[in-house]
Amino acid sequence: MRKRAWILIAALAALSLSLPAAFKKEDVKVNTLANGLKVLLVEDHNIPSVSLYTFFRVGSRNERPGLTGVSHFIEHMMFNGTPTVGPGEFDRRMEFRGGRNNAYTADDMTAYTDWFPPAALETMIAMEADRMQGLAFVPEVVESERGVIASERRMGVENDNDSILYENVRATSIMAHPYHWDVIGWMSDILSWRRDEVVAYYRTYYAPNNAILVVAGDIEPARTLELIRKYYEPIKVSPAPPPVSTTEPPQLGPKTVVIRKEAQAPSFTIVWHAPNAKDADFLPLAILSKPLLDGESSRLYRRLVREEQLALRVSGGAQETIDPFLFTIDVKPRPGADLDKIDRVVEEELAKIKAEGITPQEFEKAMNGVRSDFYRGLQTVAGKANQLGTYELLYGDFGKLFTVMDDYAAVKIDRVREVAAKYLTENTKTIGKLIPEGGAK
Amino acid sequence: MKKLILTALVCSLVGLLVPPPALVAAGSALPSPAKIVLGNGLTVYFLRNADLPLVSFRMVIRGAGSAFEPAQAEGAADLVAALMMKGTAKMDAEAIAEALDFMGASLSVSATDEYAQVSGDGLAGQFPRLMEIASDCLTGPAFKDDEFAKERAQRIDGLKAAKDNPGAAVRYYFQKAYFGSHPMGHLAAGTEMSLGQMSVQTVKDFYKSHYRPDRAIAAVVGDIDGTALKALLERTLGRWRNPAGAAPADVIPPLPKPNGRKLVLVDKPDATQAYFVLGAPGYAMGDKVTPQAAVMNTLWGGRFTSWINTELRIKRGLTYGASSAFRTWLPGGIFSASSYTKNDKIGEMLDITLGLLGKGAKEGFSVEEVESARNYVQGQFPPTLETNASKAGAYVRLAFYKLGFDYYDKYMTAIGKVSAAEAKAAAAALLPQDAYVLVVVGKAADIRPLLAKYGTWQEKRITDPGF
Repeated sequence: MRKRAWILIAALAALSLSLPAAFKKEDVKVNTLANGLKVLLVEDHNIPSVSLYTFFRVGSRNERPGLTGVSHFIEHMMFNGTPTVGPGEFDRRMEFRGGRNNAYTADDMTAYTDWFPPAALETMIAMEADRMQGLAFVPEVVESERGVIASERRMGVENDNDSILYENVRATSIMAHPYHWDVIGWMSDILSWRRDEVVAYYRTYYAPNNAILVVAGDIEPARTLELIRKYYEPIKVSPAPPPVSTTEPPQLGPKTVVIRKEAQAPSFTIVWHAPNAKDADFLPLAILSKPLLDGESSRLYRRLVREEQLALRVSGGAQETIDPFLFTIDVKPRPGADLDKIDRVVEEELAKIKAEGITPQEFEKAMNGVRSDFYRGLQTVAGKANQLGTYELLYGDFGKLFTVMDDYAAVKIDRVREVAAKYLTENTKTIGKLIPEGGAK
Repeated sequence: MKKLILTALVCSLVGLLVPPPALVAAGSALPSPAKIVLGNGLTVYFLRNADLPLVSFRMVIRGAGSAFEPAQAEGAADLVAALMMKGTAKMDAEAIAEALDFMGASLSVSATDEYAQVSGDGLAGQFPRLMEIASDCLTGPAFKDDEFAKERAQRIDGLKAAKDNPGAAVRYYFQKAYFGSHPMGHLAAGTEMSLGQMSVQTVKDFYKSHYRPDRAIAAVVGDIDGTALKALLERTLGRWRNPAGAAPADVIPPLPKPNGRKLVLVDKPDATQAYFVLGAPGYAMGDKVTPQAAVMNTLWGGRFTSWINTELRIKRGLTYGASSAFRTWLPGGIFSASSYTKNDKIGEMLDITLGLLGKGAKEGFSVEEVESARNYVQGQFPPTLETNASKAGAYVRLAFYKLGFDYYDKYMTAIGKVSAAEAKAAAAALLPQDAYVLVVVGKAADIRPLLAKYGTWQEKRITDPGF
């Protein structure tokens, strides 16, 4: 889980010109099993290692009040036993064969990521298929894992001022849509989910027709597909999960969140409503974020960190999401910094861009940055697996990975000014300030 | 995220200098690089990889790390490194940042304990320009007064901000508690006091005496032709000259060893969790015990199913993560274990941790456990050398520590031979029983009563300057 999974930006930030010859759309072998499971295979013998990534179309976006954070909880329970593989056995068997794994939950998706030597392929496919079709949810294990998640929340949110502020800001900006809450969920929900509710949620979303399987690395594709058929084909199709129908109503005026808390340094965040990843305005906004706040040459870094010396760092941007989410500007203020002045500087810089746009030099810089990020994301077999699965899930087409560079290249520079003026407006803005107790501003 | 933290720990552990796989490979874990020696004597290792249009550059400068700072100049080494990017005779800080961002390239200089390191990554077509900038920063930094003042002020503020995050702060407190006034106790970030009294002259002096081509080792990996690279290097780094005067010391004294238990409690009144780090002597880089210690640590605290994570997280749900690791340097190393839990559970957590240290030393591990750890260390090694950057980093580290480029192959073979008896011997030798440094950051009013039974604690307040 990641309150701000910029992972997507990195992926998206991806393309801009042609893809490396070493990785082409034709290198991806595509199959869809009769039960709906989409399978993507990439053969790459660079190192003796395999990346097996399973993506489910479920995240905090699919939750409801009372069950917030449950997608992430199920991610944890996926390691805690099925009727045939006991609690902890998944990890023990995998590690015994030289494998390691992790998993992450985001607003729109849950991904399981395995890295292992080629000899472990059948074991891993068998265990992944097994946990897609039934978890044990042993009551004592449910309770123990609840404690783990509570600790994760205490570490990641309650003892991290920037995260507490962000959680408050997003919940203030987004009123109605489930993006209102963070992936980790509210503490009271974490402490009170009922086992039967969790099981029902799992059964709704964990099914072959709601999943994407990507296997990349040191594999033989025909043999790999044979193993996948053997273990996954018996899994039955589930009814399609219910759609997320809530649409966020328009924001009609600026909002402000203030948190007062013991701290040495303040925190500061501004968000605006932004379009979803498929929207024609998304790429111009992604381009805008580069000259605005990415790198030490960006406008906000220069003003806030270098010239006015109000801040230690700036970051943010737009996230690729299924439904409209947020454009974020995060500023880490220096202790004692005037937070209203930071706000004014941000608005001054935005006003210039809304009036004049960005320069051709900035536009080219953004494109170079996008292209560089993209290649770096493809340096590893794990990176390829992650990007393919993410694109397939977000766009319904992994092939978008191989054309999105062209989409970037097609953006006209004036579109950047247009989207800045359209989205980064006073009435759709939510500003968040964490003010250290003791009077500092 | 199921195991983000462990993942990061295991990566750094394995990546550092642990490992390669016999299971796995017919070929060598790390291809042998070409060696280019420049006119000024600087050695650059080179490997061509044309898979993607990317090139990575890595360099280490021996003796330019934080352990070589004058005692009163803590934080100078990393401050020097950062300021090298903030202006030269030819370019000011804005021009450097603009040039790098325009290329979509990254370039950084930083200080570790033992050496300074330079990292550059960029698109192949832009690599010559990247090297020109890197060379300019390295050989002609301006160290202007205003840049010094800005960077120093930001670092002091950054240290204050770090104290808002107890998980980060506990590491600083531990380093101070363990190493004390030994040079390895220098925080690379410095302290509020040491930075406050530092002058720009200190920075200039450190640079002038410690940055020298005869102490540097570099590597380039990526999509570039060897002949073109040599010409590029000669007209950039090849022009770097040794400063006049004798080279300063480059040897770190033997590391201190805790005499009994040293207990430090740091009060953070708003903390809802208590964070601990327990540390004790380990072993030096390249020590013969490395493979046995790696297998032992994998089982005790180096992976998800390790003893400590099983007991604290998987069985009891006390924490999101618990782990242990060895860190190794030329003069020695340390073992450390760490985790965190709700304030009222810190006593239970420490009891279990200390119990597992005893159990490891007395009972050792089963034959099956040791087989699993061998497979795990070997199986997880190949991805650590997958990218250009990781290969270039491996070349300079192996050369710095004089381990040889076949080190990983030998290491993987050795891992494959570690027996249960050897893992037990490593546990008996390296898991601390009665002599260690233990630091806890948390809400003292709640946890003080739970900690009293372990002995006498030195107490600090997180709001006091320094660590």
